Amino acid sequence: MQPQANTSQTVVTRDPAQVMRLSRLGSFHQSRLSFMRILTRRMTRENWTFTRPVFEFDAKGVGHAVYCAHTPDRTYSLIAFGHDLPPEERSDRVIATAWDSTFTLFDGVPEAADIERLRQNIPLQEAGRVSERELSVSRANRSVRLWDHVVSRLAAGAQPDPGEVAKVGYLMRTTAVYGSGKLGAADREMIADRPECASPFQIEMLSVFLTRSYVRDLVQHMADLKGGAAAVPLDAGIARSLGIGNSTGLGMAPFLVNHPMLFNNWIAAREEAIAIVRSLPAATASEVATFREMLERSILSADLWYSEHPIQVEKLKRLRRDLSALETHLADADLAGPRPWDRLFVWAEGALGEDAQECLASLMLEPYGRLVDHLADKMSDKDRHAFRIDGTMRVADLRAVLERAYGWALDIDWSEKEQCARAWYVSQEKLEPRLGERFEEPIAPYEQPLAPGRDAAALYRALKDKDGNAPLAAFLLTHPEHRHCVRRAQIVARAPYAEIRDNTIGSDLMPIDMLRCKLSFFGATHFDPRSDRWVRICMFGNAPYPEELSDSQVDDWSYPPLLEGAK
Amino acid sequence: MNRSLNEIEAHAKRAARGAGLSWGMAEETGRAARWLASHDLAGPALLADVLEKNDGLAHAQVAPVSLDGDWYARAGDLCPLAVGATLNDCAERLAPGLSIKARNVSCPLLIVPFAAWAAIHLRQPVRVSYENVRIETDGDGLWIDDPHQAINAGKAETVIFQRASTRTDPAQRPAVRGNVSCKNWARLGAFSERTFAPATEASRRLGAGSGLSDND
Repeated sequence: MQPQANTSQTVVTRDPAQVMRLSRLGSFHQSRLSFMRILTRRMTRENWTFTRPVFEFDAKGVGHAVYCAHTPDRTYSLIAFGHDLPPEERSDRVIATAWDSTFTLFDGVPEAADIERLRQNIPLQEAGRVSERELSVSRANRSVRLWDHVVSRLAAGAQPDPGEVAKVGYLMRTTAVYGSGKLGAADREMIADRPECASPFQIEMLSVFLTRSYVRDLVQHMADLKGGAAAVPLDAGIARSLGIGNSTGLGMAPFLVNHPMLFNNWIAAREEAIAIVRSLPAATASEVATFREMLERSILSADLWYSEHPIQVEKLKRLRRDLSALETHLADADLAGPRPWDRLFVWAEGALGEDAQECLASLMLEPYGRLVDHLADKMSDKDRHAFRIDGTMRVADLRAVLERAYGWALDIDWSEKEQCARAWYVSQEKLEPRLGERFEEPIAPYEQPLAPGRDAAALYRALKDKDGNAPLAAFLLTHPEHRHCVRRAQIVARAPYAEIRDNTIGSDLMPIDMLRCKLSFFGATHFDPRSDRWVRICMFGNAPYPEELSDSQVDDWSYPPLLEGAK
Repeated sequence: MNRSLNEIEAHAKRAARGAGLSWGMAEETGRAARWLASHDLAGPALLADVLEKNDGLAHAQVAPVSLDGDWYARAGDLCPLAVGATLNDCAERLAPGLSIKARNVSCPLLIVPFAAWAAIHLRQPVRVSYENVRIETDGDGLWIDDPHQAINAGKAETVIFQRASTRTDPAQRPAVRGNVSCKNWARLGAFSERTFAPATEASRRLGAGSGLSDND
């Protein structure tokens, strides 16, 4: 898609040159178009039902359970295996080989033979093998500090300390959720036509949603076994506040570069939603009230957001200050006047940092589900043939595309060390993406194609002396090394948000910016970078549990409730 | 062994890159292996043959010398992947009544997926003929006429590409899974191994950025 034409009635979508910078992408917030919220809205709307046909665990948490989600058309089952993990083996790193719990999302209802087959494979994760009946494979580790606290408190007849619960936010954290064909599982293409899979990552989100129920049930089960008659049920409000933690490392960062059309569709949907709201001529009192409430809850959320990482600490200070400035501005701002959201947003672009601007952009969508929620169906990549290169394109036309989409990269001297200090590679040990120092480690021969800016600049140089009227096919025949970049350029020519418009191999690259961008589309909150290249988050915190979905007609669980937060 | 098509594509892409193909060529090679495997054709096996045969050869040695006239390599045989990519790049040259001929091509079956993508672009089936084999495809669908079982030929002296008429008889449709023998998987794996950086102490320590404790 192209940015919308500017008319007096319409606000254009934001310029990709503004949106696609790493510092801004690394400041994104969840929104109505986040994949977790898309899923919970659908589950509520379609009255999904949930059952737990199997739950068999001993006092150490060893056993298995099956959680079924019944859609109007079919059933998905989370099969969870619990293990007794020695503390010294507990690690969230992808190089781990054992976990507290391991999971697969099964397509249908598993029979005993399926469970036996999966019992031999799922606990092994990458070392195991699954079939096309399995849609995802994942694992999770306990938060040792909170798990033991909750089990012992409940067993003794008391509730856990709310302060301890709030500090951690989850009882287990997933360390990988594999989907789409990995380890032999079903490819996304096999299920892409199902309505509940129309938006991206719905299977993975469903797996985590059901995992949250499992974790709540297991901690209760272990407390009951430990405390016997003295044990009490976990308070529903505390249970509700708990999400599933997630540790995300570098493996996720290249995803955004490796799926340019899909990435474009995520960003384009959100940008279109922002433009729709900014273009509204007026806001009703109830729309303004919804917005103001969500802002209050966002301010609370920012207060609850904890991180020790120096960069995140600074970002949080600025975000809190800016949200407070926004609140002050709103005390006098006239949202009853014409084009209220556009005026507010223009003010924010001048007065607030990127983090608060993106928070505001997401907040402005909240009152307008009826106008923007349908964009969720445009976020997948359905264009199977986008990878085909148009060899009839003229050299001059490609040059123009490069100048437009990669202009930021054409003036950089890519031979300077700091501009190309890093290289992405895949390690032999775990077949996972890593980031290394090009001039300090012997990794350059193994470099992955994750530096579109540098490659576009090289392509531009190579095209410099070529006949502008010549078709690309002849150029590509003698320059296969540019084939990858030509494909990307042709994609970005029609999908303007397909490329990160920043240096992805520079000495100052912060991979956590890429991680936060992706995780914000999942719907994650409270990003907690643990280094420059991995981040801890919480998923489905404050979300309804399966049995509570039918009572939650309002899709606002991503924002912490005001009353409980004020306690 | 039964595998997901994504696994086959990723493995073939890495193998092609490991064998020295450019990233762009490797991406299309992965797609081609996937396409052939989805039709239960010997894509991964033939890909291993070609990568072994051309290991270390530059693109310029195995690609058509020129787009004009018949396509041939500077010396030796044409690589079917280079021919396929080139065919797809200039699919418009398959004008009604005109054909493109390629001389001395290794494992010509590997070109068929590229012809399929050209067919989608042209909105008309494309025919690939060699050694008494006639294959037509409209993109997803496939019609194979192979009376002498020469489809997996290691080499064809002439491969002809042309537009074909729209067909109404049933086509062979792609499956959602593929089979690749362990032997052929390992042959491709030998190439994909070359794309992985050997682990060093520094990379273990820094590459994934351990930072703060991950276990709390």
